[in-house]
Amino acid sequence: MRAVNAVSTSLPSLASTHPAFASVAEAELDSVHRYLLFLTGNRAVAEDLTGETFEKAFRVWRRFDPRRGTARAWLCRIARGVALDYFRAEERRRRREARYARELPDTEEPAYGEGALASALDALSPAEREVVALRVLLELDGPTTARVLGISQTACSTRLSRALKRLEEMMSDARV
Amino acid sequence: MPASETVDFEREFAELVRELRAVPSEAPQELRERVRALGEPQPARVMRLPRVTRRVALVLASGCLVAVAGAAVAYGLVASSGRPAQHPEAAATFAKLPHGGRVHLNLTRSSTTAEHGVAAFGAATTQQPFALSNSVAVPAPNPNRYQNYQASLRVRVKDFDALGKRTSDAMQITHQLGGYVASVQQSTTSGAPGEADLVLRVPVAHVQSALIRLSALGTVLEQHVSIQDLNAVVSAQRQRILQLKIEIARITATLQQSLPADVRLRLQFQLDEAKRSLSNVTGANASTLRAAAMSRIALSLTTEKTAVAKHHRSFLGRSTHAAFTFLAGAGAIALAALIVLSPLLVIAVLFVLGLRAYRRREERRLLAAAP
Repeated sequence: MRAVNAVSTSLPSLASTHPAFASVAEAELDSVHRYLLFLTGNRAVAEDLTGETFEKAFRVWRRFDPRRGTARAWLCRIARGVALDYFRAEERRRRREARYARELPDTEEPAYGEGALASALDALSPAEREVVALRVLLELDGPTTARVLGISQTACSTRLSRALKRLEEMMSDARV
Repeated sequence: MPASETVDFEREFAELVRELRAVPSEAPQELRERVRALGEPQPARVMRLPRVTRRVALVLASGCLVAVAGAAVAYGLVASSGRPAQHPEAAATFAKLPHGGRVHLNLTRSSTTAEHGVAAFGAATTQQPFALSNSVAVPAPNPNRYQNYQASLRVRVKDFDALGKRTSDAMQITHQLGGYVASVQQSTTSGAPGEADLVLRVPVAHVQSALIRLSALGTVLEQHVSIQDLNAVVSAQRQRILQLKIEIARITATLQQSLPADVRLRLQFQLDEAKRSLSNVTGANASTLRAAAMSRIALSLTTEKTAVAKHHRSFLGRSTHAAFTFLAGAGAIALAALIVLSPLLVIAVLFVLGLRAYRRREERRLLAAAP
């Protein structure tokens, strides 16, 4: 059993000095990608948005202040903004091309692989998937996750609990 | 989120968590290379402004308050370090009185009195710095000339009791100096300032001493001195008297001769007229000499509080007053600015809050449904 809150989610050197961007990017790339993969539910989109996230982080790297939070949380906030921009753009695009989009064949690569878990994750909303990604996969603590999502800690906890219960129910149903 | 809650979900959904963590989600090598290619950002060349945190805002606000207070103190010091307001009383004394001249001197401490102390004698005017105090410097009469010396003095005393006592003192001073009290009027009504008006006649030889002693009865508010040279008048009167006496003597001598009746009658009329004129001129001359011998001092004692004290504040008092005036002005400006800007500030805050709420709602909507 691991106590998630006790896990350090940042590089040790970040606390005192401004870390190098390259080392942070190397360390946090998988985390950010994982988060965006769960948030978007699309592997190709997640890759694009991850790249876009790090490009944006590269441009505003001087604004990062290790005293105010971990690099992972900071990158996740950027990634979330990038993803929301993507969702807005996607929504506008879908509205414009509603009929055409419906007729497009589904050729996307499965985001979470095959199996019951993948189907269950697909059934969750992006909001539920992102809280699962942040808390379970990226192992951010409750307050940091709440800050990244812009919600209260209670709401964050509730959302996580609900998402995990739904996942488990769907998986149980699939096994039966 | 409490730690127990965290441990609970790890324990409660242990198998699910394990499966979730096993989902292949590593970034592909292509993406990794793309991110590596970004390299290291160049250090910022522009000078960054310090982050405006709550502490910085507090320091700035404190600094502003200190700056305003400092400006007020500086203003107070500068405003009060200059010479006190030029007052008419600052000003005049006399050298000597030329023939046939007339001098009028006003000395006042009241800021509302616009008269200036002036010593004027035709073209010969002498002005010297002159500090008014309770031991007032007063122009001395010229003992070798006939002068009509008149003065008025307004003196503030502490209260009604002092008013009665100082009135008695003034009368006593007058008697001691060989003068007399021409008139006294004293009124003390509850709720109104007490007043005592005295007309004193003091021998000219002692007028200076009298004015100095009367000034010491309280705080001098106003002093007016008027000196009119009477030598020319006295000379003219004496000349006229001499002429009339000669004329009378001539007419009297003529009348002792034998004359026609009509001539005698005419001379008799002329003699009567000359005697009448002599009597008048002699009376006028006596009156002039009396006026030259006794000065007239109009003394007003009052309990009235005036603005005089304001002009005699200490340096510290003036500085403090000026500083508070400055602060009051700054406060009024700040209040006016706040009144003007407050609606705009409220609108701005409402706009920001509304925008934030809208964005949050939109985010919830976007994340509620799978794309």
